[in-house]
Amino acid sequence: MNIIQSTCISAQNTFLTPEPAFGHLPAGSKLEAKEPPYENIPRSLLRRMGKAVRMGVGAALPLIEKNITPNGIIIGTGNGGMEDCIRFLNQIIDYDEGTLTPTNFVQSTANAIAAQAGLMSGNLGYNITHVHRGLAFENAVIDALMLLKENPKANYLLGGIDEISTYNFNIDQLGGWVKEEFPATQDIYETTSNGSLAGEGAVVFVVGNAPDKPDIKACQTLHSTHSQEVMQSLGAMVELHLPGGFADVDVLISGENGDGRFKHFYTDCEALLTNNTAIARFKHLSGEFPSASAFGLWLSGEILKHQTIPVNALKNPGSTSTFKNVLIYNNFRGQQHGFMLVGLG
Amino acid sequence: MDREILVKDLKKHIITYLNLLDMTPEDLKNDVPLFGDELGLDSIDSVELIVLLEREYGIKIEDPKEGRKVLVDVNTIADYIIAKTPA
Amino acid sequence: MPSVMITGIGAISPLGNTVDEHREAFAQGKSGLSRLEMFTTRYADLLYFGEIKTSSDALRSILGVSEKNVTRNSLLALHAMQEALQMSGLEPQQIAASGTALIGANTTAGICLTDELYHDANRDTNPSAYINDYDAGSINIFLQRIFNIKGVVNTINTACSSSANAIAYGTRLIKSGMADRAIVGGVDSLAKFTINGFNALGILSSEKCRPFDKNRNGLNLGEGAAFLILEREDLTGNKKILAEVTGYANTNDAYHPSSLSPQGNGPYLAMKTALETAGLKPYDIGYINTHGTGTENNDEVEAIAMGRLFEKIPAFGSSKSSIGHTLGAAGAIEAVVSVLNLMYQEIFPSLNFDTPMYEQAPAPATHHQKVEIAHIMSNSFGFGAIAVH
Repeated sequence: MNIIQSTCISAQNTFLTPEPAFGHLPAGSKLEAKEPPYENIPRSLLRRMGKAVRMGVGAALPLIEKNITPNGIIIGTGNGGMEDCIRFLNQIIDYDEGTLTPTNFVQSTANAIAAQAGLMSGNLGYNITHVHRGLAFENAVIDALMLLKENPKANYLLGGIDEISTYNFNIDQLGGWVKEEFPATQDIYETTSNGSLAGEGAVVFVVGNAPDKPDIKACQTLHSTHSQEVMQSLGAMVELHLPGGFADVDVLISGENGDGRFKHFYTDCEALLTNNTAIARFKHLSGEFPSASAFGLWLSGEILKHQTIPVNALKNPGSTSTFKNVLIYNNFRGQQHGFMLVGLG
Repeated sequence: MDREILVKDLKKHIITYLNLLDMTPEDLKNDVPLFGDELGLDSIDSVELIVLLEREYGIKIEDPKEGRKVLVDVNTIADYIIAKTPA
Repeated sequence: MPSVMITGIGAISPLGNTVDEHREAFAQGKSGLSRLEMFTTRYADLLYFGEIKTSSDALRSILGVSEKNVTRNSLLALHAMQEALQMSGLEPQQIAASGTALIGANTTAGICLTDELYHDANRDTNPSAYINDYDAGSINIFLQRIFNIKGVVNTINTACSSSANAIAYGTRLIKSGMADRAIVGGVDSLAKFTINGFNALGILSSEKCRPFDKNRNGLNLGEGAAFLILEREDLTGNKKILAEVTGYANTNDAYHPSSLSPQGNGPYLAMKTALETAGLKPYDIGYINTHGTGTENNDEVEAIAMGRLFEKIPAFGSSKSSIGHTLGAAGAIEAVVSVLNLMYQEIFPSLNFDTPMYEQAPAPATHHQKVEIAHIMSNSFGFGAIAVH
């Protein structure tokens, strides 16, 4: 399954830019997306959209406009439209279940992003939303991999989208998932405290079979709290798809996020690599969110396309200078693990 | 009740409740049909307007037919509020 | 591609806590719709609901769940999943094998805890016990932990078609070789969130819902959970095969965020594609378990779409006339009902039907009857997205 095109709305200048430029490193515990003006969304529709829907549709539309009609739309989102969800909930409580407005309710359902993108592009094809927390996006990728096996000539829109709403930020903070101190973003990896930086974004891909484009060779997931089990599963996937095993991995894109409790997973993963492998990381650029691995996948495509790792994302340069195979390892809250293997040719 | 002040407030509420982007109260003309081509409002907006009347002016519209008569333009809504508000 | 067999089913709804109780209640034409006795909302005495009269505490003790942070959704899901696993006779190590997937669907997850979520989201008190369990994934992460599932675990939300999509997804995992077995299903419990949401859309009925009746005026919300065990044919050994998943499709109506297009393009295309996937002709279908919510829009459009596809519309009915619309559980519950129809070669009465929608409008089957049926179609339509299997 190849990445034919992609768009990325994130805390960085990544939307429709020729090459990723990661200059934006604000301090604070929230990395908010730099949203484009959404000129291609009619104002009459835009006014109703929550941020997740707006970002998702905003990222999807340029791809739909540029492409033949996709055969379907597959979205992964951990939270969907959380802002609208709690706004509706607040209405319920504040007005004691009185007369309420339905807009927030309709917009709050997690599948509003895929539905709205389908509605605006008149797409009658497959339409689905995967919402399995930190593996929502990986499950969307697995769905797309299966669909392309079933219909090799098709192409699909595949997206990973999550918003920071006031409310999920509150919930995440109360749950201990956001750092209490406010480190400069690039320093989060040096901390040992709990939590990470809150992030958000919308990354949408057109995937299909196009042999000269970056190829998503495999996507695998595991629920586990045991690093040994996770590394075994990761190793098995790498051995199965790369003849030279880990020696063939040119770049590791690591989901390291500065949460001291789960750092050992990433350390153990790096220990599997040879000196060839360059290591990149991105959570200081994108922030942490359930579908953040979509940003990692987007970064892998950019690295393969431009044959260079953006300097701000580089942890360790490795000894390889041509990049053919990228491994993405991400875990969410030390419980949900996703591995993706992306290569050229 | 001063109709001019009422109309100005009402317009502000309409813009907030319907989240009419880039619109100011001055842009919203008193006699432009709310559900015509210009504003492009729909049935969900009419529910939002009914909620607006209830929350901001304490006026309940239960009968959808009455709603259709009232929710025509800013003028008709303002007249209705004045008629329903005890002097 | 390998065939995918159903070897276990489990369900809990207002009609019963087990599959057997469901069969008996459905056959007798019992209604599970009532005023609310356990769940508190301003609408408790104003509308009809499909409420399960087993409290969350009772479920907790039946299931032996002691953790505090387990929601009613998770409890109902566990209840139905245990029954399905037991029927299929899967061993713990088979459930925990890397080839066994768990695909669940829901639309409310932790939102069923309106008050706790309100306080946590607005940060006006100390965190509640549920602080990490509001999201859609929480239910299946709970089930994953209980059964130590190591294969693909996924949660799907396509609104009211969610669990039909979960069944299709599990089937495709097996057909594509990415899983050997899949535990698939869905759950939703009553929530102030959905009650007030559907009420704001003006589609809740103050009477017991009347699918396909001229005087229908809305739907009733219900709660429930259902799970099915899917296995690749060659792994079933000498187990009893309850039914086979033959066709499925998911299409999009692309008309309106909360209603269907007048010609039912999405539903028509989904039914047509599901038949094609199964390699069947319209006349092969012996019964349709419709989406049949009882809203003006749905039933009319669904009838039009059926009329476009079938020269003669087969016998059909709506399980929602008995239990209400259980949202994320509906597709799975209706699949379980369809499996029962096939197993016992019978169809159940669709309730509260009196007058056809218009002259020569199709009428649902209103009596319990023994029939010979080989194939059943089960429809689920959702906000924006649509699925059938």
